[in-house]
Amino acid sequence: MLLRRIYQFLIIYCTGIALLFLLKYGLQLSDYVIPSPSELWQTGCTEFVRYCKDVADTLSVAVIGQIISVIFAFIVGIVGRKATWVGSIVKVAAYNVQAYPIVALAPIIFILLGDGFLARLLIAAMICYFPILLSVIGVMSEPVVDIEHFYRCTGRLRWQLEVKIRAFENLNKLTTVIAGSATLAMAGTIVAEFIAANAGIGYSIRIALYQSDLARILSALFVIGITLSVYQGLLEWAGALIKKGWET
Amino acid sequence: MKRFNKCTCQKMVILGITLAWLSGIVSVDAVNAAEKINYRLKWLFNASVVGDLYADVHHIFTDYGLDVRVKAGGPERDAIRELELGYAQFGVASADQVIRALSKGAPVVVIAQLFQVNALQWIYRDELPPIKRLSDLKGKIIGITYGGNDETIMRTLMAKGGINSKDVTLFSVRYDYTPFFKRKADIWPVYRNTQGVFLSAKLARAGETVRFLDPYNFGVRFVANSVVTSEQMIAKHPQTVVQFKHALLQGWREALRPANLEKTINVLKQFDKDTSEALLAQQLAITHTFIQPSPDIKIGSIDTAAWKETEQIMLAQGLIKKPVNVEKALKSM
Repeated sequence: MLLRRIYQFLIIYCTGIALLFLLKYGLQLSDYVIPSPSELWQTGCTEFVRYCKDVADTLSVAVIGQIISVIFAFIVGIVGRKATWVGSIVKVAAYNVQAYPIVALAPIIFILLGDGFLARLLIAAMICYFPILLSVIGVMSEPVVDIEHFYRCTGRLRWQLEVKIRAFENLNKLTTVIAGSATLAMAGTIVAEFIAANAGIGYSIRIALYQSDLARILSALFVIGITLSVYQGLLEWAGALIKKGWET
Repeated sequence: MKRFNKCTCQKMVILGITLAWLSGIVSVDAVNAAEKINYRLKWLFNASVVGDLYADVHHIFTDYGLDVRVKAGGPERDAIRELELGYAQFGVASADQVIRALSKGAPVVVIAQLFQVNALQWIYRDELPPIKRLSDLKGKIIGITYGGNDETIMRTLMAKGGINSKDVTLFSVRYDYTPFFKRKADIWPVYRNTQGVFLSAKLARAGETVRFLDPYNFGVRFVANSVVTSEQMIAKHPQTVVQFKHALLQGWREALRPANLEKTINVLKQFDKDTSEALLAQQLAITHTFIQPSPDIKIGSIDTAAWKETEQIMLAQGLIKKPVNVEKALKSM
């Protein structure tokens, strides 16, 4: 699973780079527009270790942000699964927060939390939280009639059991969404670093952008992609293990 | 073998068609006077581009037989790339962008220098002792945009003043001014003619007055916005380039003429609705001093010595690996 993720990423990345080179040489574009293969290789070699450290920094924030998002999404999803007034207001609040552009909220976040770790964490969590929430609400508000009917008739259906039944029956869907949200958590952290912060790969990309250095940006994208592939592969593997554990 | 050849041929044809289609989209097409010319600015519409807007709104381009579309820039835009890709025929770029592009073989040419003095300065509250010598920077918390040209300029100032990075604290600057308002940084980089004006006004409302640190006063000449085009454009459409330059510079001259102040403010108000008329007038007055510092300097003239100095600064800081002989790319047509 892990290996498959990595070689899938490598295929996509190499295809993208090949297309860029095709465009470069087909249209005779200068190295300023698209770097040459040798420049890209040299930059990649020079910056690889630094970018790995930056990506590790970003990933650490993204993982914590994702965990927070998953916890909050489950809390809100479980509370909001009933068509009650509280459930409805929780959903509306969650949707509204997502509708605001992060760039507009960022100054408020920085005033409250400064521009360090907490601001990055909050922005990462805000970006990856919503898709998880939607899936959790979808799963939790959909009764598994066949199974729940028995417990309901026998008066043994407490909310904890209801949540367990619905989660178990939709474990595949939940695992996929959680693994997929890793990308969003990473993207969220990078956005946060891009807007503020003075650490992480988003910050390094911002500097490269200021200097119109596409070779460094492409190198950074490679490191981000490979790290994310490994992380997603690990999440899927963990999901499969959990499923296996529940089934036995 | 026969099948392989057929497949290979088909693939080659598809590739050829794709490339031909792409080059149709992105190559620099012939530009006739009647065709649209795209002019990509470096930044959003504000007082720094008032001459460009004036030429557009008052149909000066049209009078010269040109159909020009003035497009706003921004942090994610790069006029030089757009020239090469054929999305724009003219653009505005800072000297560091031009020199970096030249170092990577981009066929870019400078046809006019809009800012004779770089508007980039550092704002600080006047409760701090005035920075009269570069050594006064010691111990200060200095805002810089890592990777931006303000970092290059500040590092040049520090090198000139014999200040090493341990003597100061560098503070990473971002889009909003909260850290400066919260006094997390002592001095903060601003464009004096735009951000400098509204920040001064905002702090004045809070009872605070400010000063500015101008690198020019310490002998740092780092060229700012200039008008660029491609070598191909000059080779194939020299007349269009000349017409464009004349129209644009006429726009700047008219925009900065005191008699046209009201008209110019009205142009700015169309594009910058959030800034008050009084502030726009202030921004305009300061912009004038950067575009034409003295009456004997012609608007748009290229200061070759300053360009060479900019190149030297970039070389000294390792931003380019070898000299690009920037003077060869400066063409006052």
